[in-house]
Amino acid sequence: MKTFAELNFPGRLIAVEGLDGSGKSTQIYLLKRWLELQNLKVYFSEWNSSELVKAATSKGKKRELLTPTTFSLIHATDFADRYERHLVPLLRAGYLVLCDRYIFTAFGRDVTRGCPPEWVRGIYSFAALPDLTFFFKSDLEVSLKRILEGRPQLKYFEAGMDLRLSTDPYESFRIFQGRILEQYLAMSTEFNFLVVDANQLVEKQQAGVRELVAQRLDLSSFHRAERPHVPPSADLRKKAKVEEPVP
Amino acid sequence: MKNVARNQIVVPHRSARRFYGHGIPGVDLEQLAGKLIVVEGADGSGRSTQIKMLVEWMEGSGHATVQVGLKRSTLVSEELVQAQQGNILSRTTLSLFYATDFADQLENIILPALKAGFVVLADRYIYTLMARDMVRGMDEAWLKNLYGVALEPDVVFYLNVLPEELVQRSFAKNASLDYWESGMDLGLSRDMFDSFMKYQTAMQATFRRLQASYGFTIVDGMRPGDVVNTELRKKISAVMAGK
Repeated sequence: MKTFAELNFPGRLIAVEGLDGSGKSTQIYLLKRWLELQNLKVYFSEWNSSELVKAATSKGKKRELLTPTTFSLIHATDFADRYERHLVPLLRAGYLVLCDRYIFTAFGRDVTRGCPPEWVRGIYSFAALPDLTFFFKSDLEVSLKRILEGRPQLKYFEAGMDLRLSTDPYESFRIFQGRILEQYLAMSTEFNFLVVDANQLVEKQQAGVRELVAQRLDLSSFHRAERPHVPPSADLRKKAKVEEPVP
Repeated sequence: MKNVARNQIVVPHRSARRFYGHGIPGVDLEQLAGKLIVVEGADGSGRSTQIKMLVEWMEGSGHATVQVGLKRSTLVSEELVQAQQGNILSRTTLSLFYATDFADQLENIILPALKAGFVVLADRYIYTLMARDMVRGMDEAWLKNLYGVALEPDVVFYLNVLPEELVQRSFAKNASLDYWESGMDLGLSRDMFDSFMKYQTAMQATFRRLQASYGFTIVDGMRPGDVVNTELRKKISAVMAGK
């Protein structure tokens, strides 16, 4: 497997991985803002968000219809849709693509659910590797606390209830997340994860992330060629005939 | 079937079971007492007619049957039909969507029915799905890994009908050709008739290639339906008896 850089794509893909509650979504959001404010070509994509597949996935989850195999396949379908229709064309067009979760999420979860690792990896073999993968490594207890404080109602699959680890959703969630963490740690070296200590303050983590991104990528090559998209707020200003200074 | 009333019910012989690849986690193959019979072939090859006749015959012979087919899963069938109509999914996505549909039926219908000792009649199986993707240039090794979840059937019939005859049957039935069965998405030709012939020829060549690894029983589907059915029944009887 090769990275997008190794495949000579002009764009670069940055992925974040970590347990639920590790703070990775906050970190990738802040990274996205930083890049956007530098007027760079940025695109953000989230796990399990393809419009087309979503209906089926949410039905499967709501009605608890999914088995480890179909859980794996439906998420692979979602990923493939985003990969082929968004990620690859944007990377061809020289974008910085930010992914909240990438194939490693599937590797960790599906294998924890009992799918054979070679089978899962084989399915995702059409995807190139990220150019940078940040792994937000938090203590299991810290992640659990964040999730359990914010959203006390745990969802069936999120808690790994389908694995029958425990009849108590909270206990099941703990065991399930613990096993996923083991999978992540086992993959860390193989896939060159950039490990971020997620027990630190938000700002400290973000400073580290930005520093690494600036170091590893030539950000100046991702500048938008022309004027940026006019954001909706600026659009409104124009309609209100508020003059902007001419550059 | 004049002598139905006097027919002896044959208790099927237990077959050795295996998955093609990694299979479904946690399935005890020893428990699958039923039989899995697959009928493959293009649209217009007579699959549905043959299966209907086989169900009659099987039930008359005292076997409980269950039927499965493509795009019939509770999980994704609706979304799959929708996606196909819009023709907006790219290749890998569509392929995985179909695999999800297949796996859902395998786990929720086929395996439980086999466990309960039913005869499962499948109107197409993984081979059509693989062949369609292979014709569209997808990697064979990738597909073999993906469909390694599938259970090896007891017998697979491939109803072979020449494209020239398929086209006649399609016109006789609908007076039109189906977009997907003509492989129009491939851009082989803007002429639909031409595209249909080219696509079906390519599909048959791919089936022949798959036959080498999956060992189908090729049945000449150009003959009258009842002649074909007699042949199928003979082979199925042998399978049931463990021959």
